Amino acid sequence: MGIVTRVIGLAFTAMGAFVLFSSVGTTDPFGLVWSFIGMFVMALGLSLMTAGREKEKKPTPPTVTEIRCNSCDFKEIRDFEKGDYILKPVEAACPKCQSPMTIEGVYMVREEPDEKDKI
Amino acid sequence: MQLGGTNEFSWIINIAFFAFIMLFSLYGARFQMWQYLKQIESGLLELKRMWVESRQKSIEAFKEFGLSEEEVAKSLDRWMDYFTIMPVDLDPAGILVRLDHLLDERRDRFQEFIQEVAPESQESSGQNLENTLEVTQVLNLIYRVVRHFYLLGKKTGSQLMIMQVHMQLPDLIMLAKAYHDALEAFAAGKPIGDSIGPLVVTKFAREYGAKPEDYTHEIAREVGYYTVEAEGRTVYALRATGPGGTVGKPGLAVRKLVEKHGKKITRIITIDAALKLEGEDLGRVSEGTGAAIGDIGPEKHAMEQAATEFNLGIEAIVVKENEAAAVGVLDKKILDAVPEVIERIKTSLQKRTKPGDAVILAGIGNTIGIGL
Repeated sequence: MGIVTRVIGLAFTAMGAFVLFSSVGTTDPFGLVWSFIGMFVMALGLSLMTAGREKEKKPTPPTVTEIRCNSCDFKEIRDFEKGDYILKPVEAACPKCQSPMTIEGVYMVREEPDEKDKI
Repeated sequence: MQLGGTNEFSWIINIAFFAFIMLFSLYGARFQMWQYLKQIESGLLELKRMWVESRQKSIEAFKEFGLSEEEVAKSLDRWMDYFTIMPVDLDPAGILVRLDHLLDERRDRFQEFIQEVAPESQESSGQNLENTLEVTQVLNLIYRVVRHFYLLGKKTGSQLMIMQVHMQLPDLIMLAKAYHDALEAFAAGKPIGDSIGPLVVTKFAREYGAKPEDYTHEIAREVGYYTVEAEGRTVYALRATGPGGTVGKPGLAVRKLVEKHGKKITRIITIDAALKLEGEDLGRVSEGTGAAIGDIGPEKHAMEQAATEFNLGIEAIVVKENEAAAVGVLDKKILDAVPEVIERIKTSLQKRTKPGDAVILAGIGNTIGIGL
C-alpha cells in the first residue's frame, strides 16, 4: 500500500469524523442516518490507512563459531564460515599457549520470549 | 428519529434495521466464508513465497556440484512430489519389517538422485543436500495441500472444508516458517537443534578420552560408536556418523550391539531432542523411561524389542525444544544444556548400573555440523 492510499484513507477518516460529530446530538430528522454514514466512512478511511502494514521483520541473528583452546582457557568467537562444524580441529594454534584448538560450538543467540508470555 | 419512534422518517430506520437483520441472517455465513477464503488466500501466498524461495536456495546449493542451474531446476521440479506409499496395515503382522524395507528403498532413491544432480558432491555434502531437498519437499507439500483444500472449498462452497483449513492455517504457517528458516542451516551444513543427541554422546566420549580414530564405523547404516571406559563401566557411545546431515539407523545399531555383547549390557540410555510445550524453557533437560527417538516406527521398535528380549533397563534424557529450534540453527541455550545432560548420564551410570557393566549410550538425531 502506497502513500496515496494512506492519504486517501486519512481524507476519508477526517471526512467521516466531521460528518459523525456534526450529526450527533442535532435535531435533524436524518441525524442518526448521517452519524451511521460518518462512522462507516471513518472506518473505511482507517482501514485504508492501516491496510497492508506488515509487522517489521526482525533480522535473523548471525551464526557464530566458538573456538576454544584444548589446554588453556582461551576462547574466540567469530562469524560462521562454510565448512565449520562442532568438534572440528582448527588449523591455527592458540595465541596464548600455542596448543591446538577445536571448534566447541556453532550456534545462534535468539531473542528471549516476551515477558508477558512468562506465566 | 429512532428505532420504533413515531417520527415521519422513522420508517427508513425501521426498514434499514430489518433489512440488516434479514441480510445477515440469510447471508452472514457467506460473508464469513468469503472472509475466511480471503485469509486462506493470503496464507497460501505466504506458503507459496516460502516454497519458491526454498526451491531457489536448493538450486543455488545443488549447482555448486557440477550441473547447470537449468538442469538442476528441471531435476528438482521432477523430484518435488516424490512419494512413499505406506505398507498395507490390514494385515499388521510384519508391518515394521516392510516399512523398514520401504524406508531403505526410499533412502537409496534419494541418494541416487543426489548423485545424479550433484555428481561432484562428497558423502558429507551429499547428505546436507539431501536434507535441503527434503525441506523444500516439505514446503512444497504444505503449499499443495493447503491449495487443494482452498480450491476445493471455493469450488464446492463447503463451509466445513473452508473452516478446517482456516483453523489449521496458523499452525501450518508456523511449521512452514520453521522449515523455511532452517533451510539456510541445511544448505550451509550448520548444526541444528536436533543435533543435540549426537553432540552430547560425542562430548561424553571425548571427556573419557575417545578420539575420532577410535570410532567404529557402520555397525548399521550410517551409524557407528566409540567404546569408552566411564565410571568403571564400558560405555558404547553410539551416534550417526557426521558431520553430514543424517540420522542413520540407530535402532538397528542398538539391537546389533545388544546381540553382539549379550548379557554384559545392562542398560540403554537414549539422548534426543524433544518437543517442548509452549511456556517451557528452551533447552530444559528432562528424563524418563523408554526409547527417545522420533522415527515413524522401525528404529524405536528395534530398540524396545532388544531391551525387552534381553531384559535391559531403557531410559531417555531429552532436551526440550520447539519445532523452529529443532530444525533451525543450534541455539546457544540448547548448546548450554550439554554439560547438564552429561552430568545426568553419569548419575544414571552410577545409580542404575554396577561397575563392570556395559551400557549403550545412544545419541539420536541429525548429525549435521557435528564432527566425530
